[in-house]
Amino acid sequence: MNSLKQSLIGISFAKFLLGGIFLFGLLEMANAQMDHSSHIGGSVAKPVTCLGSGLECANAATPFFTADGKLLLSWSANGVVSVAQSTDFGKSFSTPVKITEHGKSLDAGADARPQIVADKQGNVFLAYAFFKDANWNAQINTARSTDGGKTFTSPVSLVNDGSSQRFPSVLIKPDNSIFIAWIDKRLIAAVKPGSEKRLGGAIAYAFSQDGGQTFQEEHFANESSCECCRIGSSLDPKGNPVIAYRAIFAGGIRDQASQVISEKGAQPIRRVADDDWKTDACPHHGPSIAVSGTGKFHVAWYTQGSKRAGVFYANSNNQGINYSKPSRVGAETTNVSRPYLYASGQQVWLVWKEFDGAKSSVYLKQSSDDGKTWTASKILTSTVGYSDHPLLLSRGNEVFLSWLTRDDGYQLISIGQKQ
Amino acid sequence: MKQYWLTPLASFFLFFMGATLADDASPKPYQAGDWKSIIKSANGGPIAINFWGVTCPSCVKEMPQWGQFIKNNPNAKVVFIQVDDVSQDSIKKMLNKAGLGKANNYYVAAPFDERLRFEIDPQWHGETPTTITIDKNGKAIRKTGLVDFQKLQNTVGSKS
Repeated sequence: MNSLKQSLIGISFAKFLLGGIFLFGLLEMANAQMDHSSHIGGSVAKPVTCLGSGLECANAATPFFTADGKLLLSWSANGVVSVAQSTDFGKSFSTPVKITEHGKSLDAGADARPQIVADKQGNVFLAYAFFKDANWNAQINTARSTDGGKTFTSPVSLVNDGSSQRFPSVLIKPDNSIFIAWIDKRLIAAVKPGSEKRLGGAIAYAFSQDGGQTFQEEHFANESSCECCRIGSSLDPKGNPVIAYRAIFAGGIRDQASQVISEKGAQPIRRVADDDWKTDACPHHGPSIAVSGTGKFHVAWYTQGSKRAGVFYANSNNQGINYSKPSRVGAETTNVSRPYLYASGQQVWLVWKEFDGAKSSVYLKQSSDDGKTWTASKILTSTVGYSDHPLLLSRGNEVFLSWLTRDDGYQLISIGQKQ
Repeated sequence: MKQYWLTPLASFFLFFMGATLADDASPKPYQAGDWKSIIKSANGGPIAINFWGVTCPSCVKEMPQWGQFIKNNPNAKVVFIQVDDVSQDSIKKMLNKAGLGKANNYYVAAPFDERLRFEIDPQWHGETPTTITIDKNGKAIRKTGLVDFQKLQNTVGSKS
């Protein structure tokens, strides 16, 4: 017994010794590899990650101005979704409230961002998506605050379904009801075994009359959409949500569509432009829509279609039945991305991002006649590090650009006045 | 006496453990500046670089086909770069499932944004899957979406 124990110890020691030799060898190999690659690439490895959950490490930040003029900001950083408030236009923030921690399972893709809105009483509603299983099925969770964003309820699932729900897009109506649209894969998941699995998702939506505590039954607006692009949404003068998204048309063409969600339900799917982008790929690059005071739809989007490629803008004065000829946003030779629109009365603001090889800049152009004529484009601000999409919002009559940057912090820049 | 048996045994263990390790090789981090060295690694020969993401359904569909392609063309130079911000485990799992565990794999450590893409192709917006094929004359073609493996066979396959 004793000798057996001794020999076991002996074996363990030998293993330990061998492990040490092995580890040493590995380290040597790693060193050699590092030397090797640095000779080839000529680049010095530098830290590229920011590890905290604070705004300084965020990959996406979504702003909302409350009725009393306070800025609510929700962001995702390293798998954590947080909310903080600012009373000085984003210069300083309250201690962030952590809503959830999902680590690498949080949907932090290029087109994903937490959604945040608040009603006139200061009740806050928040939504985000995370991957719930090994097959990358996502779940949308919602959380609420009844104290102006100081504390939040524990997140709960938006719908009761085992398949995938992703890319929530939230609006709050003047009557305080909440509209949420998302990409839902339950119709794809329900395809019978044996038949060919199709790609894509569906556009689903639901309304809540109690601040997001409960939602009425969800409906499908379009049973065939791209599965990886944000949904654009805006309220028309009647208070009806109008959505824009990358639909899948016959033949696997992933072009833009707009759709009114009225009290009667989802209205006809209207094609924004015939770009003819036949693809199975994930562009992670959804459209933006803003409905002006006259009810005109303004849409901006990214495409790599056979008929046009780049970022484009078009408008419709008949609820999307006809759209104007798409006009290019930014220069054809530059890398233009992430268009975003805001409209009030007949004023329209359009921002987008351009990268010139050294810095990312946010450009603006403006129209005062409902999109008929536009000012020349100008640069609002630039950054050399990582940056989020440019977003637009208003506080009273003032219109702001919201832009999260890694190197220059969170930017809230006044860009104009409503007339 | 003891040090004599240690050497062959250690070699055996190193060989054995090394083989185990290769089965579960970790993707290498891809960062700014790496593109040039990846292209150079082809020594002027044809090369294909596939950008994929574990959260991208058409990539999930395509990866086993890449596994088959590599099996049929063991000498083809193909590099795989995973661009989603996900765990290493999930990347390895999908690679192993597709038979690409031992392929030339990278993952993007920082957000795969316009800055990182610029040195690859300034006009590219980062759709997945995207495959860039560089033929023996140095001509690069960027294809977004599923690859035509027959065409790929002609450009970077074993017989090319």
